[in-house]
Amino acid sequence: MKNIKVLICLLLFVTACQKAPKFTFMVGGSPNALLYWQKVIKEFEAQKGIKVELIRLPADTEQRRQRIVIPLQAEASDPDVFLMDVIWVGMIAGARWLEPLNYYITRDNFDINRFFKRVIEDVDTFKHKIIALPVYVDGGLLYYRKDLLSKYGYREPPSTWETLVNMAKQIQRKERAQNKAFWGFVWQGAMYEGLICTFLEFCASGNGGIFFNPSGKIKLDTRENQKALEFMVRLIHQEGISPPNTFTELKEEEVRLIFQHRNALFERNWPYAWILHQQSSLKGKVGITQLPHFEGGKTASTLGGWHIGISKFSDVKEMAWEFVKFVTSFEQQKKFVLELSWNPGRSDIYQDSEIREKMPHLIVLKNVFENAVTRPVSPYYSQISQVIQRHINAALALKETPNEALKKAQTEIDQLFAYYEN
Amino acid sequence: MKIKCHRRTIIAYIFVSPLVLIIFLFILVPILGTCINSFFQDIPYLPKKFVGMRNYLILIKNPDFWDALKFTIFFTLASVSLETILGISFALLLKERFPGRGILRTMLLIPWAIPTVISARIWQIIYNYNYGLLNYILQYLKISDKINWLGTPQSAFWALVLADVWKTTPFMALILLTGLQAIPEDIYKQAKVDGARFIKRFFFITLPLLRPALIVALIFRTADSLRIFDLVYVLTGGGPAGATRTISVLGFQYYTSADFGMGATVSFITFLIVFGFSLLYIKLWGVRKL
Amino acid sequence: MSERRIKSIFIATGSIFLFLFIITPIFWMIVISFSKDITFLTGGVYQFSLSNYITIITSKSLHMIDYLKNSLVVASITSPIVLIISSFSAYAITRINFAGRRIIPLLVLSISIFPQISIVGYLYRWMGNLGWINSYVALVLPYLAWTSPLALWILLSYFSQIPKELDSAALIDGAKRPKILFRIILPLASPAVLSGLLLVFIACFNEFLFALMLTSDYGAQTVSVGISLFQGLHGEIPWGELMAASFFVTFPLILLTFLFQKFIIEGLTTGAIKG
Repeated sequence: MKNIKVLICLLLFVTACQKAPKFTFMVGGSPNALLYWQKVIKEFEAQKGIKVELIRLPADTEQRRQRIVIPLQAEASDPDVFLMDVIWVGMIAGARWLEPLNYYITRDNFDINRFFKRVIEDVDTFKHKIIALPVYVDGGLLYYRKDLLSKYGYREPPSTWETLVNMAKQIQRKERAQNKAFWGFVWQGAMYEGLICTFLEFCASGNGGIFFNPSGKIKLDTRENQKALEFMVRLIHQEGISPPNTFTELKEEEVRLIFQHRNALFERNWPYAWILHQQSSLKGKVGITQLPHFEGGKTASTLGGWHIGISKFSDVKEMAWEFVKFVTSFEQQKKFVLELSWNPGRSDIYQDSEIREKMPHLIVLKNVFENAVTRPVSPYYSQISQVIQRHINAALALKETPNEALKKAQTEIDQLFAYYEN
Repeated sequence: MKIKCHRRTIIAYIFVSPLVLIIFLFILVPILGTCINSFFQDIPYLPKKFVGMRNYLILIKNPDFWDALKFTIFFTLASVSLETILGISFALLLKERFPGRGILRTMLLIPWAIPTVISARIWQIIYNYNYGLLNYILQYLKISDKINWLGTPQSAFWALVLADVWKTTPFMALILLTGLQAIPEDIYKQAKVDGARFIKRFFFITLPLLRPALIVALIFRTADSLRIFDLVYVLTGGGPAGATRTISVLGFQYYTSADFGMGATVSFITFLIVFGFSLLYIKLWGVRKL
Repeated sequence: MSERRIKSIFIATGSIFLFLFIITPIFWMIVISFSKDITFLTGGVYQFSLSNYITIITSKSLHMIDYLKNSLVVASITSPIVLIISSFSAYAITRINFAGRRIIPLLVLSISIFPQISIVGYLYRWMGNLGWINSYVALVLPYLAWTSPLALWILLSYFSQIPKELDSAALIDGAKRPKILFRIILPLASPAVLSGLLLVFIACFNEFLFALMLTSDYGAQTVSVGISLFQGLHGEIPWGELMAASFFVTFPLILLTFLFQKFIIEGLTTGAIKG
C-alpha cells in the first residue's frame, strides 16, 4: 500500500517537472534545411540571448501538419512558433490558433509593406488581422530547353498555350527520331495537392479559377474551367505531348527527372528545380519564364511557400515575436536565398545587387510572385482540395468527361459548404 | 455465516475496484465519449453542435470511407489467411525433434519483441525502389525488374501484407505449437498403426484437436488486422494517394484535420466493426468459455 | 520415398526457410546501421562505419536519448502498478465467490480487441482539457488500462492453480487478505508476476497510437513515436541513422526476450489456451 502511494507521488512529481516554460520552434523539411535552421537559431541566440528549442518534424508535409495540429488543438503552450504550408494557414487561422500580429507590427514599426502585397492580403490576413508572415514563396514556372528551341528556329519561349502545343508537337516529332522517350510537355497530374496547382494555373490563365465569389461560394463548373480541363486532357490523349503516366505518377520529382534526363522540351515545375538543372548536364541549356496563357487571358502561377506564425497559446509571445522578426529580416531572408535557394517573401531582396548577380533568374520570379494566384484560403481547404483532385484526375484518366468531372466536383463542394458553413 | 459472506464480498469489491475503475475511466468512458461525439459537428472554427446521424450519412456517401473499409477487409483476409497457413506450418515443423529446434523456437520471439513501428521502418528500406534489398534480389536473381513496391496500390497492398505476416506469424506459430503439444502422442501412434498417412492424420486428428487454440488465435488476429494502424501509418502513411488507408488510419486523419466529429464517427464505426466481427466469430464457432 | 525421408527433407527446408524468414529483416537492419552510405546495393561499395551510432547517441537535436528515457520511465511506472492492481483483482476473482466474478475477466479480455482509434480521440480531448498533453501522466494512465488484460490473464491462470487451502489456513491464523496476497500468493506466483512485468514493459515500448496523439515533442514522446518520425541529420535519406536507432532500441528488447523467454512464452500462451 505504502509503495503504491510512493509511486503515485513520484508520478505526479515527474509530471510537474515538465512544466517550466520553454521556447520551442517546430519546423520540418529535408535534413540539410533543418541543419540550416539550427544555424539560424544559433545566430538568433547569440544576438538576442534567447534560447530556442528546435523541434524537428518529418519532411512529409502531411505528417508536419499532423504534428502541428495535435498540440494546437489541445491548446498546449508548445510549440510557440511554427512554419505552415500556405494551404494550411486558412485552417489554422480559422481555428483561431494563431496570435494576431498587428499589435506587435505597429508597436515595433515593423515594415509590412516590404512583403508581397498579394501574399499578405490573400494568405496572411484573417478577418482583417495579420496572423502570419511569409518565410519563402513559390510559384509555378515554365522551364524550357533553350538549345532545342534555337535548334528548331524559335527565338522565344511560347506565351500562349496554343503556341506551346505547336512547338511541342513539332519538336517532339523530330526529336523522337533519336530519342523514343522524348516528350513535349511534362507537368504534375497525379492525384495529389500538386494537381490542384497545375489545374489552377490552366484555369486562371484563361480567366477561370478556383476562388470564392462575392456570395462566398466556389463556382467550379464554369465554361472557362471546363475549357482548361479539356485542354489538359487534350495534351495527354489527343496531342500526345504529355506522357500517359501524367495522371498516375507524375509529381514534382518525377517531372524534374524526365526533363533533367533530356527527355522533355517543356516542364511545369517549382523554382527549386532551377538549381538542380543548373548542376546537371543541362547547365546553360535551360530557360525559365512565366507560364503561358490562353488567348485573351493572362499568365497565372499558383502560389506556394511556407509561412511563420505564433501560437495563440504560447507562453513566450514576446520572445516568439523577436524570433519571427529575425527570420523575416532582410539579412536572414537574404541568407535563405544564398544558402537554400529559397525565394523570399520580401520584395526588397530581389533588388539587392549581390542577389541579382548570383541569382539572376530571381528577377523572373519576382514578377511571378507579384501576380501569383492563391488557392482558396479556407478552414476546410484540404477537404475541398480532395474533392477537386479526385474529379480532375478522373477526367485526365478519361473516367469522367471534363463536364461531368466539374459538375460532380461542384455538387460535392456545395455539400461541403453546406456542412461547414451552416 | 452471513456476516462473513458480506465481509468477503466487500473485500472482493475493494480488491477489484482499482482495476475496474481504471478500465472504466480510460477505456469505457472514452468509447462512450467517442460514440457521443460522433453525433456532433465538432470543428474548431465552428461552434460545436448536435447533428444526430448526419456524420454517419455523410460518411456513407463518402468514397474514401468505402475504399478504406474495402481495403481493411481485403487486407485482413489476405493477412490472416497467410499467417494461419504459415503459422500452422511452422508449428508443425517445430513440433518435431531435430537439432537446432530450440534455437528456432526462441527466434520466433524476435518479430514479436520488436516494436511494430521499427519493423515497419525496416520493411520500408527493404521495399525502397532504388536501394532496397527486395528489388536488388529480384534483379540479381533475374526474376523481374525493379518494382515500385510502395508506389502503386496493388504492390503496396502486398507489401503491407508481407510485413504484417512477418510480424505476426511467429506469435500464431507459438500459440498453435502449444496447442499441438497438448495433443497426446498416443492418438497419432494409433493412427499410424491403422495405416493413416500424414495428410489424413493432419485433417482428421490435428486440425480438429487444434480447433480451440486456432479459433482463439483467429479471433485475436482478425481483430488485430481489422483495427491495424501502426504498420500502415509508418510503412505507407495510407498512400499512395490514400490507397492503403485502413479505417483506423482514416479516423486518425480526420482527427488531425481538426474534424473531430467525423473522426469520432469513423472511430466508432471501427469499434462496431471489430467488435461485431469478434462476436460473429464466437457465435459461429461457439467458444466454450471458463 | 518413405515418409521418414520426406519428413527429413521438409524439416530441413522448413528450418532454413523459417530461419531466413525471421532473420533477414533483422540482419538487414544491422547491415544498414553499420554502413556509411546505403547506396552500396546499386553499384556503391559497402563501408563499415560506426558513425551512425555515434550520431544518434551524441546529437542532442535528434533527441534519441530523450525518447529512450521517456519510454523507460513510462514503462517502469506502468508495469509495477498494473501488476499490483491486477494481482488484487486476480486474487479476488480466484478466491472469493462474489457477483461479477465471471463478468470481470470477460470484460477485461474483451478490451484487448478494442481498436485504439476508438479510444484515443476522446482521451486526447480529455488530456488536452486537463493540460496533460505531452506529459508522462497522459501516457501512463491509458497504458495502465490498456495493458491490464495482459497482466490479469497471466495472473488469473496462475492464481487459480494455487490451492485455496493456503488461504484458509492463513485466515484461521488471523491474517488479513492483503497480507495473504503479498506474503503467500505472490511469492508462489512469482513466475507469473515476472512474465507479467516483462510483457507489460515490452508492450509499453511497443505502443504507438496513444503516444502519437497524446504527446507533441521529446518532452514525453516515446521511442516508437521518435523512430516513426525520425529525420536524420545528413543526406537525403537518413536510413543508416534510422537503422542505428532501431537496432539501438531493439537489441535490449531482444536480449530481454531471450533471457526470459520461458516466462514470456508461458505468459503469452496460457492466456490463449485457457481462453
